[in-house]
Amino acid sequence: MDELSVLVIDDEVDFVDTMLKRLRRKGVYCDGAYTGVGAMSKMKDRDYDVVLLDMRLADEDGNEVLRELKDISPETRFMILSGYASASAARTGIGNGAHDYLIKPLDFETLYEKITRA
Amino acid sequence: MEDERKTDRSIAGFFNSGLFYTGRRRKRTRRFICYPYLKRMIAKVADKKDSQMKMYTATIEKEALEPRSRSAYYTRQKLLFIIVMVLVSVVPLIGISFFSFQYYRNSSIEKTSSELASLADSRKEIIELFLADQNNYLGDMLNLYPPEYLSDQANLERLFNATNRSGVITDLGVIDQTGAHRAYVGPYRQQLSDKNYAEVDWFSGVMQNGNYTSDIFSGFRGVPHFVVAVANPEKTLILRATVNSDMFNSLLARAEVGPGGDAYILNKKGEAQTPIRLDYLETPFGLEGVSRGTSVYRTDDFIYTATGMNNGAWVLVLKEDINNSLSEFYSARNKAVALIVLAIALITTVATVITSSIMNRIRTADRLRTELTNRMRRVEKMALVGRLAAGVSHEINNPLQIIEGQAGWMDELLSDEKKGSVLNLDEYKQSIAKIRTHVNRAKLITHSLLGFSHAGEMVIAKTDINQMFAETVSFLESEAGRNSITIVREFQADMPEIMTDSSQLQQVLLNLVNNAIDAIGRDGRITVSTAVEGGKVVIAVSDTGPGFSDDIRQRLFDPFFTTKNGKGTGLGLSISFNIIQRLGGDIKADNNEQGGSVFQVFLPVTSGSSSTKTKE
Repeated sequence: MDELSVLVIDDEVDFVDTMLKRLRRKGVYCDGAYTGVGAMSKMKDRDYDVVLLDMRLADEDGNEVLRELKDISPETRFMILSGYASASAARTGIGNGAHDYLIKPLDFETLYEKITRA
Repeated sequence: MEDERKTDRSIAGFFNSGLFYTGRRRKRTRRFICYPYLKRMIAKVADKKDSQMKMYTATIEKEALEPRSRSAYYTRQKLLFIIVMVLVSVVPLIGISFFSFQYYRNSSIEKTSSELASLADSRKEIIELFLADQNNYLGDMLNLYPPEYLSDQANLERLFNATNRSGVITDLGVIDQTGAHRAYVGPYRQQLSDKNYAEVDWFSGVMQNGNYTSDIFSGFRGVPHFVVAVANPEKTLILRATVNSDMFNSLLARAEVGPGGDAYILNKKGEAQTPIRLDYLETPFGLEGVSRGTSVYRTDDFIYTATGMNNGAWVLVLKEDINNSLSEFYSARNKAVALIVLAIALITTVATVITSSIMNRIRTADRLRTELTNRMRRVEKMALVGRLAAGVSHEINNPLQIIEGQAGWMDELLSDEKKGSVLNLDEYKQSIAKIRTHVNRAKLITHSLLGFSHAGEMVIAKTDINQMFAETVSFLESEAGRNSITIVREFQADMPEIMTDSSQLQQVLLNLVNNAIDAIGRDGRITVSTAVEGGKVVIAVSDTGPGFSDDIRQRLFDPFFTTKNGKGTGLGLSISFNIIQRLGGDIKADNNEQGGSVFQVFLPVTSGSSSTKTKE
């Protein structure tokens, strides 16, 4: 896989937009979604290598979204980035098939490193 | 102002949204680094959220926080119980005693009365028999001997001596219908032989009825006596005998009434016919109404029986002293009263002992309940505070991420700019670096705040208490040193390893030691110790600070209660309390005897085994 493709899902528009700009600058193909529904349609259009997912979305619970996206594309690496710094939430996330559970705020460099390594 | 209000609303909204999270523990080192920042940060939040906190603390009843002096209440209750118990048992006892005393007294008096009445009847019969005997004796003589024979002095003397050996009759006279003595035998011959009886009561009585028994009178002889006289059918001759008073009186003396009693005979005028033994008292009843039967009269002190006799001329009176007759009853009653007094004393003692024991139990139960209630309140408060802390930090993490992202983006873009093309390029870069530094700082705070509030998050592992405590103390040693405070370690060797969440426990101990440093201020000593007492691990932090008052002690573990004048958050001890509770242990605060305070953490040797399942 020559080009890394990433889907960023978060209801914080500012976060998603900036994230996309920075990832693209790094030469990563990326899309953004602000809702679970949006993420679903994006996911159906393309096989992403990595999905960066918030645990709390405006319309849906992150875990729900995670399970559904995982059904659509089992090969994709899912990374949760959340403000919920709870061990049980992390366990649930990992249990639902997430590759990693990261806690906000996280600086871009670390995040980028994690994404590329995933 | 606007901003503050927004924050207020967002926190309130968050608080009400029901989205409460559990925290996740971060690496230990991070938490320690952030500790002072954290304190300051929470202090600010607490200040700004003053109105929020007031709303919150208002739900706690003030009495629950203050030591209640209930000892007066218990004393009053105890007294009341004792009085009720004693009254309930003593009043019926006294009532029963009183009524049975009355009953037995009355029945005793009734019995004495009837005994006295039957005694009176039998005495009357004896006396009447005696008088009838004398009448018959005189009548027999009149029938047996002709008047001429009886009128002869010598014959009369012979007869008298032959028939009167018992001495019942003192003298015997023969009197004709004119009232003159024909013959006389007896000691008063000198005085009586020439006397005429025609005008005397008894003479007219005998002339009328054929026989007569006189009242006591002195007569011609000048000595009180009474006579029995019988006339022959023709009423031409009368035999008169004087009854021996001593013998007659002895008939009554043998009535055997008790001491204080008496037996005597009165005539219808109330004159005594026999000697009265005791001081004569006016009879309490009219003599006129006395019939032949026996009547009983009762005064406060005496029982009287009155029996008519001698054809209604005399009244036989028997008198009995009530108190004397009741003496047996009284001695029995005194014994009973003594027993009752003893019983009352026993009842009072038993009531006091039982009540004391019950009240002590109630007092203990009350105290335990109050403690439990206070603890429950505290736990509830802690849960709320934990949720609030978690909520605040979660909410702040999202904007922090964006700030970090934006700053990072600007930094990236700025690195594209050629030096010189952008004025103040270095200033921008510096500014961005500062933003990122402070975002980082805020991140540490929020993450640590989450660390404080892991409700139900436990990582239970075998923990070497001494090693962990030593490590904890070492983190604060330099800060203590700066304030000239020495930390003395008194660790018990070979402490058992316990199952607990060492990281959370470390947080607690860090709080305690940090508080000790704050309490001392400068120059002092902190003693940290570990021990095993009664199957529990006891970890103690003792300082040489000022200690605390009872009032403060009551509220030490309340959230947002601080003595550090705005420098503290008031969360440390309440969070510590929360953690220790969840580890299945207990935390206690006390003043040292030598001054200063001592905090003790008690943990079961197998800590947290039940708490691990607890989850939000």
